[in-house]
Amino acid sequence: MLELKGDGPPIIGLLTLQPSAETWTGHVEGGPVAVTIDGNSIEVLVDSRDLAGFVFNRRLTGTFSDQSMSGSFTIEGATEDPEPGGEWTASRKPADRPRQAPQPVDIGGTWTPAPGVDFRKYSMDLTDKAQDWFDGYLMHYDQPNVRCVSPGIVAMVAWGAYPMEIIASENRLTYIYEVGSEVRRVFLDGKSPPDYYPPSPMGFSNGYWDGSDLVIDTQLLEANVRDFRGEPVSEGARMRERYTVSDNGNTLSAVITLLDPENYKVPPVRRRKWVRNPDTEIYPYECDPDSFYRQMYEQKKLDMYFERAKRRQFD
Amino acid sequence: MTLRLTLVAAVTCIFLIQGSAYGHHSFAAEFTAEETATIEGVVTEIWFRNPHVRYFIDVADGEGDIARWDTRGSSPTLLVRKGWTKKTISVGDKVTIHGHLGRNDKHLLSIITVELADGTKIGQGY
Repeated sequence: MLELKGDGPPIIGLLTLQPSAETWTGHVEGGPVAVTIDGNSIEVLVDSRDLAGFVFNRRLTGTFSDQSMSGSFTIEGATEDPEPGGEWTASRKPADRPRQAPQPVDIGGTWTPAPGVDFRKYSMDLTDKAQDWFDGYLMHYDQPNVRCVSPGIVAMVAWGAYPMEIIASENRLTYIYEVGSEVRRVFLDGKSPPDYYPPSPMGFSNGYWDGSDLVIDTQLLEANVRDFRGEPVSEGARMRERYTVSDNGNTLSAVITLLDPENYKVPPVRRRKWVRNPDTEIYPYECDPDSFYRQMYEQKKLDMYFERAKRRQFD
Repeated sequence: MTLRLTLVAAVTCIFLIQGSAYGHHSFAAEFTAEETATIEGVVTEIWFRNPHVRYFIDVADGEGDIARWDTRGSSPTLLVRKGWTKKTISVGDKVTIHGHLGRNDKHLLSIITVELADGTKIGQGY
């Protein structure tokens, strides 16, 4: 597990290294990274994006032993909110522990996003099929939410700007996301989807308590995008989320893994954190796509937009 | 009114901004991180609706020509949380807007800050 410490909150990510011929293959959070190893020195170049979508690199240099790594990192490239760089460490990821007896904790309430935590890894290890689809993606024209269409839970769960409310009731959690006024139900009683339940942007979610962690498995997702970059999510994809409430009950952390071998050679991972905020409520979010179509009209690109309709069906 | 357009390094000019306001759109597809500009003009039209607020600004160049700028901000849902409502800026207001330039259209700006006629300065993190 990697941990970067700069001026802000720590950034955490999973680094995997595998020998490949005379070099090394590396991934951070499921996305490919350039790795150079010379003796006990290591350099890892991680492409990342900031909150505005600008792409930059974090260059990690340091040394390693059998059980740990450490060094410093710098930032390269244009980013809206430049980090100053800092120090990094890594330790071997602990083995997954067996599932624990349920010990539910109070996860209900309104949660406001907190900064940091996630690498915001930019590129992922796409399959050839996904790469072909992705190469033709025009984010400004094809992104669902610019025309007020749901981008789906895989993208929304990681958006960092909007609060969410979790309502706990018997055998069910209800998530209300401010963005898009989206609602999601998480069934805690092992319920199966009803007959003919269709794939949808929010999918069908089952959850269980693994000790005091909440684990959610989501299926029946409609084909969509992973985020505004436009990497695809297939209809057969599943999403696994693990939520942890801090001991004082005021911080909620999540590790979010997309399991979609049709599109990703290595599962993409994201991390998010929220703080409990009883002083706010979920604001209304009405969306009107008029400005999107107007822009198409003014730029004389409406024909092009409609000619690309099939792209938005993810065929 | 005069046009005051200055290209500067973005890193020297960002203030009041709350980056998370951009968390869900294709900002980088349309705007540059490196180039910012400041325009002065009159608000001619307002679109205060999700997914993004838009203010259309008439900017005079001092030689009688007027250019219409399309300036875009965050989601109104996020802005109203900070007190920036649809009544904060009205049609006819004189404003000075600083923001990121569009990649292909030089009359496109992503708002970093807006200075109102009374000198009040507001930004995405306002």
